[in-house]
Amino acid sequence: MPSLIGSYSLLFGLGCSFLIIFFSIKNFKNSNLFDSKILSFSLLQLLFVVISFFGLILSFVISDFSNETVFNHSHTTKPLFYKISGAWGNHEGSLLLWLLVLTLFISIFLLNTKNQLKDYRILTLLFQQVIIIGFFIFIIKTSNPFNYIYPEPKEGLGLNPILQDPALAIHPPILYLGYVGSSIIFSSALAAMTLNWVSKEWAKHIKKWILVSWIFLTLGILLGSIWAYYELGWGGFWFWDPVENVSLMPWIALTTLFHCVLVLEKKPILTSWVIILSITTFTLSMCGTFLVRSGILNSVHTFANDPERGVFILIFLFSLIFLALFIFFFFYKPDNVKINSFFWLSKETAILVNNWFMMYFLSVILIGTIYPIFLDVISSEKISVGPPFYHKLIIPFLIPFLLAMAIGPKLNWIKSDLRNKFYLFSFLIISLILSSLIIINLKIDFLVNTILISSGFYLFFITTRDFFVHKFQNLAQNISHFGFSLFILSVLFNNIFSSEIITNLKVGETFKSKDVIIFFEKVTKKKGQNYETIIGKFNIVDSENIKQTLIPELRIYNQPNIVTSEADIKINLLSDKFMTMNLVQNQNYFNIRYQHKPFMIWIWASVSIISFGGLISLFKKKHEV
Amino acid sequence: MKFKIIPILSILFFFIVFAIFFKALQKTSFYTPNINFEKEIPSFSAKIFKMDIEKNSEEIFIGNQFYLINVWASWCVPCREEHNFLMKLKEQKNLKIIGLNYKDKEKNASNFLRELKNPYDQILIDENGTIAIEWGAYGVPESFLIHKRKIIKKIIGPINENLYSEIEGIIQ
Amino acid sequence: MYGRKVKLRFLFILLIILILILTTFLILKSLEENVVFFQSPSEIKALTEIKKKKIRVGGMVKKDSISVVSKEVKFIITDFKNEINVVYSGVIPNLFEEGKGVVAEGYLKDKNYFLATKILAKHDENYMPPEVKAAMEEK
Repeated sequence: MPSLIGSYSLLFGLGCSFLIIFFSIKNFKNSNLFDSKILSFSLLQLLFVVISFFGLILSFVISDFSNETVFNHSHTTKPLFYKISGAWGNHEGSLLLWLLVLTLFISIFLLNTKNQLKDYRILTLLFQQVIIIGFFIFIIKTSNPFNYIYPEPKEGLGLNPILQDPALAIHPPILYLGYVGSSIIFSSALAAMTLNWVSKEWAKHIKKWILVSWIFLTLGILLGSIWAYYELGWGGFWFWDPVENVSLMPWIALTTLFHCVLVLEKKPILTSWVIILSITTFTLSMCGTFLVRSGILNSVHTFANDPERGVFILIFLFSLIFLALFIFFFFYKPDNVKINSFFWLSKETAILVNNWFMMYFLSVILIGTIYPIFLDVISSEKISVGPPFYHKLIIPFLIPFLLAMAIGPKLNWIKSDLRNKFYLFSFLIISLILSSLIIINLKIDFLVNTILISSGFYLFFITTRDFFVHKFQNLAQNISHFGFSLFILSVLFNNIFSSEIITNLKVGETFKSKDVIIFFEKVTKKKGQNYETIIGKFNIVDSENIKQTLIPELRIYNQPNIVTSEADIKINLLSDKFMTMNLVQNQNYFNIRYQHKPFMIWIWASVSIISFGGLISLFKKKHEV
Repeated sequence: MKFKIIPILSILFFFIVFAIFFKALQKTSFYTPNINFEKEIPSFSAKIFKMDIEKNSEEIFIGNQFYLINVWASWCVPCREEHNFLMKLKEQKNLKIIGLNYKDKEKNASNFLRELKNPYDQILIDENGTIAIEWGAYGVPESFLIHKRKIIKKIIGPINENLYSEIEGIIQ
Repeated sequence: MYGRKVKLRFLFILLIILILILTTFLILKSLEENVVFFQSPSEIKALTEIKKKKIRVGGMVKKDSISVVSKEVKFIITDFKNEINVVYSGVIPNLFEEGKGVVAEGYLKDKNYFLATKILAKHDENYMPPEVKAAMEEK
């Protein structure tokens, strides 16, 4: 029953789209006032999509297996929380969620822009409706979440146990809020271009939307990363896997866009940057969906998918790209007059320099991600691009990037000089000395690491100083930059000081090395709600003679039949101790991984700080100076 | 001049990217959404139609032969559609067809077979539909082609002309 | 002939083009160094020389071939035509099982002996790494 309602409301929702387009075009031509019918229909459409979404959730909650999506992804023994999150944990449901957020955002946009130009509002709505209709058709044609099975199966196939996790339950919605937020930026940029209204006022207004999507995107990536850390048991948080890369790329574009908009808010330069980045961000978000959902990528995170869907998204994606290109080349007339009025030492130049760095990082990731696809098509060679590629190309360029990030905000708009900026220099010396003291006793490459860490420290000191000297001035920016420096430092230290032991042990055996003694005491078996579990007990004595017991688990889920390792992590302010075990088939041995990972919690915290900076900026009345 | 070259170049560029992605998609049959890719058949035991004995899966699927297990019911309309193809498949020497009578009444089932003839070498009864779930069946009709205790093909929905010739191709 | 502004602009564009070429070159070069090629056991048999480059080998884990010697796990990857011995010390993924698909990354010692540094796992029990599937289909 809920499926039926959901299914019909989807159709009604699509119907609303056509009504909205009809009234919008009529309104665009004829009247000077915004037609309130348009708003009503948009809200109605939102209502239909909400009903449809709740219909799906309800089908999951009552385990209505006559619904194919529910049958494929749920099971009666699954805990209620995962029944609900299962609604968007699959392809069909996640697209419905996309659609929900699309309609939600356009409604908020319409409600929020009552003082803006009528034509601008209508055009934005029209472009957004094009995207919405695309998604409606995509869902109804190729991935309807309300497909009917008759006769009704008694039991479902179950949700992949790795996805049964609190972080992953909220990860997709938050990530999508970020992705979809960029759709508004896209539509609005197209509208502003068409009306030749890419101006300070527009920048002020779109900035909020950029910030909102940026915050959600940051948090979404963070959650995914936390999940990968403790659930996949690979002992890391970022693997440069294509699926991870496609979420990072829109983030980089969005971050760059935000900085450009800050400039545009002040004076009418960098307009082309803003426009191109608005288009790029959304294209990359869509591209992410395409790459993940079509199965074109060879990734360790796999999702069920079929090529027909891929063709649809691909055509849809490129239609949007061509539409954007068409508008960009035919409507958009940049004012080239002031473009040369850059003074070399100013905030604008610093932002511009960082833009180029960001674009460089973006292209490296983009090439690394899609190069295997291209090579496969052109020469049928199957390859993969590993982390060393990204590390080699990105890490060295982080150094000037961090320095520019530290110095840039200290410069004035338009024109600046370096008098009274003595502290900038002294901090640099302090950072250099500090980091060389840290690095000197370690057996790693001295030069690169020292410079890298000192540039991290440099940004850290300068932002910290600002908290005391400038107090509330530029607070949001300072918090985010401070968070970023903390992030870079934690990641670096995490990398340098991590240690790891991988070995095979039988019950009762002991592993000894100079740093640590691991004693495998026993295994016990237990039964959970929808799984059986083997719990290992390990006594660990580390180099400081601190004793600890770690109990990693091996879960065997019944529906579907999958084995997962549950890491046991002892979290500490300074470092995490991380342990997973796995059974070696046909042997009595367990494969053990024990890791000592410093500053893990600081990585999570720093990313939260970065997005918190965004949040402050959103609620701040006064503009940054 | 400059303003014409850039648009053309960028449009050309995106067309190439599109073409490559499109081609890559065509190649991308590599993920098999087919869940039961070469999966072992589930072990189960079932009552035999019109007999009072129970057999388990080890006794049913023996040797090097191909088996086609066909989930059917007398109340299922599309089952009538595929019946002709099942009759044709019956003539194949190295294929045994096993019916799994799904949530059905014995009387209705016999009537169905009397009316349309019996294509099955053996019929198992799945009165409450639990065996079909173990096979991962979606509904009726559905068929699984089995060789050496492995599911090599899963057919959702009725067998049609194309699928018929495909099965014929596999077993020969 | 040209004004100072035009000259400056010309220089600026030249600089940008130069940087672009340089980065492209840099990216392409490290791509070449860091890509990992995929090969099936049969393709390895057909190799004429053993390079010291990282590769991936994919196929099925042969039945009854897994054995553990203290830190190391030994097993055989087969594509049902040829096989290769693999020695691995590291984390074993959940879905590493005999008779299932596997992709191992590492270095070739010789044509019969592969030193793996990583074994790749997938989230999905029924997932068949595309390379493995392609390798299997070739037979």
